[in-house]
Amino acid sequence: MIRSNAENLIRKSMARFVDNELVPKAQEIDEKGEFPRELFEQLGRMGVFGIRYPKAKGGSGGNCVLFCTVCEELARGLMSLAAISAMQSLMGTNFLFRFGSEEIKEKYFHPAMRGEKVACFCLTEPEAGSDLGNASTLAVRTENGFLINGMKTWVTNGPVADFYTVLCQTNPEKKFKGLNFFLVPADTPGLSRGKPFDLLGTRNTKICEIAFKDCFVPLDHMLGGEGQGMTNLLSILAEIRTMTAALAIGLQRAALGDCIRYAHERAQFGKTIANYQLIQAKIANMAVDLEASRLLTYKAARMVDDNIPCLTEASMAKYFATEAACRAADQATRIFGAYGYSMEYSPQRYYRDNRFLLYGGGTHEILQTNIAKWAGL
Amino acid sequence: MDIVVLIKQVPDSSEVKLDPKTGHLLREGIGAIMNPDDRHALEAAVRLKEAHGGRIVVLSMGPAQAIDVVSEAIGMGADEAVLLSDSAFAGADTWATSSTLGKAIEKIGKYDLIICGRQAIDGDTAQIGPQVAEYLGLPQVTYVFDIEAVTDGTVVVKKRLEDGYEKVQCDLPALLTVIAEVNRTRYPAIGNLIDACGEQAPITIWNAADIGVMTCDVGLAGSLTHVIRTFAPKGGRQTQMLEGDTGTVVRTLLEKLRENHLVLTDSGVLSAECREGKLS
Amino acid sequence: MTVWVEADLCNGCRRCLKACPYGAIEFSGEKASVLERCTSCGACIEVCRQSAMKSDIRPRSVPDFSDRKGIWVFAEQRNGQLAHGALELLGKARQLAAELGEDVCALLLGHGVSQLAETLIRYGARTVYLAEHEALADYRTLPYTDVLEDLIERHRPGILLMSATHIGRDLAPRLSRRVGAGLTADCTDLEVDPDEKILLQTRPAFGGNVMATIVNRYSRPQMATVRPGVMEAHQRPGNEGRVVTTPVSIHEKSIAAKLLGAVREKKDAVKLCEAKVIVAGGRGVGDAGGFRVLEELAEIVNGAVAGTRVAVEEGWISADRQVGQTGQSVRPELYIACGISGAIQHRAGMLNSRYVVAINKDPRAPIFQVADWGIRGDLREVVPELVRQLKSEVRQA
Repeated sequence: MIRSNAENLIRKSMARFVDNELVPKAQEIDEKGEFPRELFEQLGRMGVFGIRYPKAKGGSGGNCVLFCTVCEELARGLMSLAAISAMQSLMGTNFLFRFGSEEIKEKYFHPAMRGEKVACFCLTEPEAGSDLGNASTLAVRTENGFLINGMKTWVTNGPVADFYTVLCQTNPEKKFKGLNFFLVPADTPGLSRGKPFDLLGTRNTKICEIAFKDCFVPLDHMLGGEGQGMTNLLSILAEIRTMTAALAIGLQRAALGDCIRYAHERAQFGKTIANYQLIQAKIANMAVDLEASRLLTYKAARMVDDNIPCLTEASMAKYFATEAACRAADQATRIFGAYGYSMEYSPQRYYRDNRFLLYGGGTHEILQTNIAKWAGL
Repeated sequence: MDIVVLIKQVPDSSEVKLDPKTGHLLREGIGAIMNPDDRHALEAAVRLKEAHGGRIVVLSMGPAQAIDVVSEAIGMGADEAVLLSDSAFAGADTWATSSTLGKAIEKIGKYDLIICGRQAIDGDTAQIGPQVAEYLGLPQVTYVFDIEAVTDGTVVVKKRLEDGYEKVQCDLPALLTVIAEVNRTRYPAIGNLIDACGEQAPITIWNAADIGVMTCDVGLAGSLTHVIRTFAPKGGRQTQMLEGDTGTVVRTLLEKLRENHLVLTDSGVLSAECREGKLS
Repeated sequence: MTVWVEADLCNGCRRCLKACPYGAIEFSGEKASVLERCTSCGACIEVCRQSAMKSDIRPRSVPDFSDRKGIWVFAEQRNGQLAHGALELLGKARQLAAELGEDVCALLLGHGVSQLAETLIRYGARTVYLAEHEALADYRTLPYTDVLEDLIERHRPGILLMSATHIGRDLAPRLSRRVGAGLTADCTDLEVDPDEKILLQTRPAFGGNVMATIVNRYSRPQMATVRPGVMEAHQRPGNEGRVVTTPVSIHEKSIAAKLLGAVREKKDAVKLCEAKVIVAGGRGVGDAGGFRVLEELAEIVNGAVAGTRVAVEEGWISADRQVGQTGQSVRPELYIACGISGAIQHRAGMLNSRYVVAINKDPRAPIFQVADWGIRGDLREVVPELVRQLKSEVRQA
């Protein structure tokens, strides 16, 4: 029986969305710097946020390859929307889906899938970034729940989220083994949001600090077994990194596409700059980087789908694809000449937005350290 | 309310390029898309289904690759899709196409409404809708830009005219052809797209035997009209570049226009032929 | 037409079973038999080495149409006003008639429209078939189809032409299916093949990127719709013609569609498809203010302002004014392209303009290839100068 190929079909469909709804408006949306509520809701209606969850449970029934395909296409159009969408599809909802009660799912997970509620993930603290074992946000057991105190920072979607998945320490002496995830609804008394950060790039992704002061959550808001926080985080870390690599691929494609178009349009000394070998060399390098990023990323994605441990592969993909995206954005600002320095053209946005990818999902310094270790050093 | 929607896979015309040397169409590497008007037809059907319930069957005729547009239609909310695919169907003109689609709709059987796009961007004929309606003996309303109400046994629509519109009430079952103005289309749902690619997808493929037609009645063999020649349009006008300062070029231009009977009158510029042809 | 097996010749080799694309061959014992699914495609006949597969399929032959004579034109009218396209068709029909040695007839349907017959004769009709009935007052698909079908059955024309208007494109395909005739849409050229004496119908495809010539050998009448504005109307003052009134009986009950109301929309601006002159702007116009200059020019020549996709996306002009592949196709007498580079997507929408003037700073802009007159210069200087000189001409007049 003839059937369509899901990856092709979804890529084409998302590409049409990106070309119609994002590419023409990306510059304007970026300038406004607001949370793109309408687009967010539209993605919800399209079932984008449910891509990693089974259809019978309110998701769209896709695998990691399809998830990366969608992330890549969205990032090609507007990195901040892609980042918001990735947060909503993976980190912001994963633990609710896996460990939440039916009531929690009904109240938070399903509306999040439909784009009616914004999800979010609180990991980093002012004093604990890469060093998560040092997390000091404390959840203290009370008779019928937990009291949460502490501070989280670099919370993507923080200012607009309806609920938070928060990494807390329940037993500081146990370090990693005392970590647990908690669901904290935005309307919990004692929860306060800081002012949105003024960001270099991905200006529609709203990020802020979240302070918890005696925030009470009931027992069933602890997501996952006691002390399982770090294990559960590790269980999706490879996917987070693979997804981040896919975002970087999208950015590379956007930059490469714009550069090729521009090289054909821009004429100097009587011919278009596409005719000059130094421009050709830049384009060639970008194309090779892109292809290599794809191979690494989709290899890792297939391993995730096949349940093969692949933190190494995912980390390599994230490291390489993101660095390649930085190179692509850098070269784009050069190929565009002085226009690359103008806020009216796209390269500046790629140049700013790609920085976001450097930190999310693990800094490159940490990744390099780990990769070296895994390589046998 | 059971609806059959006719859709077609067409080359993405925005990518159509000409060979600069021969002036021929370069079709290589051109993507294929769902015909834009048909997408609006499907959206109209999905909205009617959302309001009134019922089932939507999408019907398309094309090569095996056209499976992608029927899968996309499932993604947008069609319940079922039928792809008519057979080498015998190739090269059909609108006569043979409407016979084939008509036969397939007879086999599908149950419907209150058939909706199709006004025309396909590769042929621009706008003939399939009315010809299928005639084949099935259904009333038709073309150029529909608003489906106002569906009541028991009738549909009320607005039909676009060159200088306004008409409101028409039509008995069901009927066939409507819609224009882009009728709605804003949705993007397919990811979950439905994934389903459409699965083994269990509600997509059926029918060949000539499945719908009970003779190969001599379909495709090129069953066509009444035939293309005998294709050629590049005479692209090259004799371009005359006007030289001189701004005042001079504009003066020269106005002279040239006058030479070609494009003269200034009270009501504006009209060519000689046009004025002669104007009704008094 | 059927395919069958001569059982005596069949040796049970099963080649036909493999060759049949439809699974329409069955073997009972060692002999093949043909099932009802057979589509007479002939695949089995080709592979059978015993010549056991037989069929009465004959190569397609062109029927004898020697009794089909006359070139008919559907005279579209609305509210007692003839569509100009119908007069243009009469002009073309006369030309074809001269080559074929046949007569030109016009078909006039409506209610209280008999006075229009005179105009049709003045423009070249030799016979006007007039069908009048209350139910024909407004165009509706089914009654019009019924009346035309009846006329075609009785008078057996060889050619039937209609305008590719909204009415023509609703009626022509319906009628073609009804009378079993092939139809070619939106023709831009019609000629008679000198040998076969059939109609050569030429039309654009793929947004005007390709022209195709189409013939209709196997059915009559040879039906075509023609884009309005393509052919030329000619008055023939001495032309004599007759009016033949045709009886009409229509049961209102049998008409499935009821007209509830019609609205004519106010014209606040000259419609693009009707404008004789279009002043169009692209990226080179620079901003919405730049379009004001174009508007001024359009106003003087009673024309319309249009724009490219870029101009629409930039918000300099509304979307209903877009010309091109994704916008409208226009065919004005004069198209003035200002600051338009002329991408194929745009050219597809304006190629049918009678005359094209291009104003662009870049001498290599593709728009110049499709222009009759090109001005290399800044539109912000050229257009105001054009306005100035036109105004002074008006004053002199």
